[in-house]
Amino acid sequence: MVNDSGQLYTMEGIAAGLVMLLTAYLILSTTSIYTQGDTHIPDMQLEQLGSDVLAMMDTPDREGGKNQLVEFINENNGGGFKDKFLEYCNAKTSGDLDTLHMSASVTYRKEDRIEEHQLVGPDETWTGRESAVRVTRWVQLDQHQQLSPRQPYGQRAQAVLVEVLLWRA
Amino acid sequence: MACMNEEGQWIVLMGLLVAVGLFFLALIINQSALVGQTTAEGVLEFPKNDIRDLREAIFDYVDKYGNVDAAGNPSAKAVRDDIIAISLDRKNAVVDFKVKDRIYISGQWAYPVEIHYNNGVTEYDETVYRY
Repeated sequence: MVNDSGQLYTMEGIAAGLVMLLTAYLILSTTSIYTQGDTHIPDMQLEQLGSDVLAMMDTPDREGGKNQLVEFINENNGGGFKDKFLEYCNAKTSGDLDTLHMSASVTYRKEDRIEEHQLVGPDETWTGRESAVRVTRWVQLDQHQQLSPRQPYGQRAQAVLVEVLLWRA
Repeated sequence: MACMNEEGQWIVLMGLLVAVGLFFLALIINQSALVGQTTAEGVLEFPKNDIRDLREAIFDYVDKYGNVDAAGNPSAKAVRDDIIAISLDRKNAVVDFKVKDRIYISGQWAYPVEIHYNNGVTEYDETVYRY
């Protein structure tokens, strides 16, 4: 005959063991590895920042005033566009500047073809492996008044799409 | 079960409670990571900025050309074709819009603008009155 004392202790021990095992399993399974494909939250924030900056640049500073984005495109001033864009991205009251980098292109239509003009080329930090986000903005260009042709878009009034790639490096 | 030593029951009970508490905390942490991820995925998936941007491009067109017949006005037709062709090429979205005759609404004259957008996942149609 087996000694039947201490059965309650045995059951209690088994129950406690199960709870501990389950807890340990849950805690271990919450530890996730942060991979490249897992960067949705910072991506979302960066995309919002970029499209806000483009919207701000596309807004005239006063009624009938100048529209910065249109000016940069009309003058084909890629350097000025890059400086202003990154300045607005880093517009904060204190702290270090964010290490943002960008490239930009303008897509336009020439008769039946869709063409792309590189407005700002990528800098030396671009390796092709960055988790970059793309923000876009439609810009309407008026009929070009000056005699010199507006390179490379042509004279007519048109709608072009500004695309900015934004990444941290 | 007779003559069982019943000392230390409080200690055992507290141990159990702590284990159960830890269990629920771990459950909350586990779920919270998932919630942030799916929300951000949803935000990135939905073309909010594309649609908002397209609306503004169309409003710029309406402000400039009103509801001129695109066939009779090469300048308006070119801008309209720009928007439709570039949307398809760069955003994979089928876009169409139509500006109707001005109507008097709420004490102002407004152009009813029909906007259609479809990128295969999200379909968006609206009729908006542009003053």
